[in-house]
Amino acid sequence: MTALDAVAVYLPPHRAPIESFAEPLGLTDIQVRLFRRFHGLSEIGIDPDRTLSDLLHAAASALPGLRGQEHRIRYVLHGRALPVVAPYPHNPLHDVCRALGLEHAVAFTVTQQSCASGLLAIELAGRLLAGDPPGDTGDSDDSALALVLTGEKAFTQDARLLPGTSLFGEGAAACLVSATGPRDRLLAYACNQRGEFDSEVGETPERFQREYRPSLAEVIHRALAEAGVTLDDIHLVLPHNVNIVTWQRLCLLLKFPVERVVLDNVPVNGHVFCADAFINYRTARERGLLREGERYLVAAVGVGDGATFSAMVFEH
Amino acid sequence: MTASNAGTEIDAELRPRVVDTMTAILTRLLRRTEPVTETMRLADELDLSSSLSLELLLELEDRLEIQIDVETMNPDELQTVGELATFIAGHSRPG
Repeated sequence: MTALDAVAVYLPPHRAPIESFAEPLGLTDIQVRLFRRFHGLSEIGIDPDRTLSDLLHAAASALPGLRGQEHRIRYVLHGRALPVVAPYPHNPLHDVCRALGLEHAVAFTVTQQSCASGLLAIELAGRLLAGDPPGDTGDSDDSALALVLTGEKAFTQDARLLPGTSLFGEGAAACLVSATGPRDRLLAYACNQRGEFDSEVGETPERFQREYRPSLAEVIHRALAEAGVTLDDIHLVLPHNVNIVTWQRLCLLLKFPVERVVLDNVPVNGHVFCADAFINYRTARERGLLREGERYLVAAVGVGDGATFSAMVFEH
Repeated sequence: MTASNAGTEIDAELRPRVVDTMTAILTRLLRRTEPVTETMRLADELDLSSSLSLELLLELEDRLEIQIDVETMNPDELQTVGELATFIAGHSRPG
C-alpha cells in the first residue's frame, strides 16, 4: 500500500503583506480587503533570490531518509500546477535531480490537474512502485522509492493571483514515497475531472462557484467510501490553502467541524500551489495533531484547463 | 425559517436596515434597472456569485458598522434576500 515515508517542507523566510501586491497585480482596495476579511489572507511567502530548482532542492535536502538512500530512488515526480515554468532547454527538475545525485531516476512532471497535480503525483508514484519488480536482494530495506516534489515560483500574473479567490505563495515540499511503507498509508484516492469548467472556454465562473463545494464534497465522500470509513472516522483534514471562507462553508456542507481543518498556513503562506497538503501535514505533525492509527483526509482542487477535484484518505 | 435562522434571536431594529441597504447595494452591484426585493432568490434569480456575495457582505459591514458572523453562514440555506437579511440581523455584532 502506497505510503509517505517522510515529508519535508521549505518555506521562504520572507513574507510580504497582501497590500503590497495590490499595485503589481492591479487589485482594488475592495479586493484586498475581501482577501483579508473573508479569505483570511494576511501575508504571502515570496523568495526572490531562489529559483524553482532552489526551492525544490531546499525541500528535498531537508528530507530525513534521502541522504545515503539515493540509489533506492527510482522515480522523481514534480506535481506542478503550471504547465510551463522555464524556457527550453532548461529543466528545473533535472537540475534538482543532478544536485541530489538522482540522475539515474526516471524524472517527469505531472501538470494536467493544476493544483491537484500533487495528489496525482503521489498516486502515480505509488502505482509505479507497486508495478515494479522487487529489488535484487528482495530486502525491504533496499526496496525502491519515489521522490515527489511540489512547489512553484509565483512568477507571472496568472501564477500570483486566483481572482477573487486567493493569492499564490512560493515554497516547496518533498515526499519520500514507498509501495509498502508503514507510515502514513494511503487508504484511498478519488478524483473527478470536470472539463466543462475550463477557465478559458468553459462554463461561467458563477456556475463553477456554485458547483465548487458540492463537487469537492462528492469526491471526499467517494474517497471515504473507498477507504471504508466515514467522516466520523476522520480526525483531521489537510486542505488546499485556497482560502478560509471556502473551507468554512465546505465544513457546513459536510457537517464537519472546521476546527479540525488545518488552516494555519492560509494567513501566513497563501496558496502554495500543489504543496499545500504537505505543508499542512508538517504543521499537523509539529502541533501534535496526528497520533498513530488516526485517519486524515487530504483535499485539493485544481483550476485551469478544466477543474479537478481530488481527495485522499491516509492512516497515520 | 431556514435552518441557519432557526432559534436565532433576530435584531428587529437592525433587520429592516439590512434589507434596505442590501437591496440598494445589490441593485448597484448587479447593475439592475429593476429594484431588488426581499423575496428575490439570490443565486437562481439574481445570479449572485460567491465572489459578489462576499463583496455584498463587506459593504454591508461597512455601511451598517457591524461584523457579520460568516463562520456559521451556510449560503445553501439562505436562498432569498430576506433570508440573508434575517441571518445577518441574528448573527452580527457592532463592528
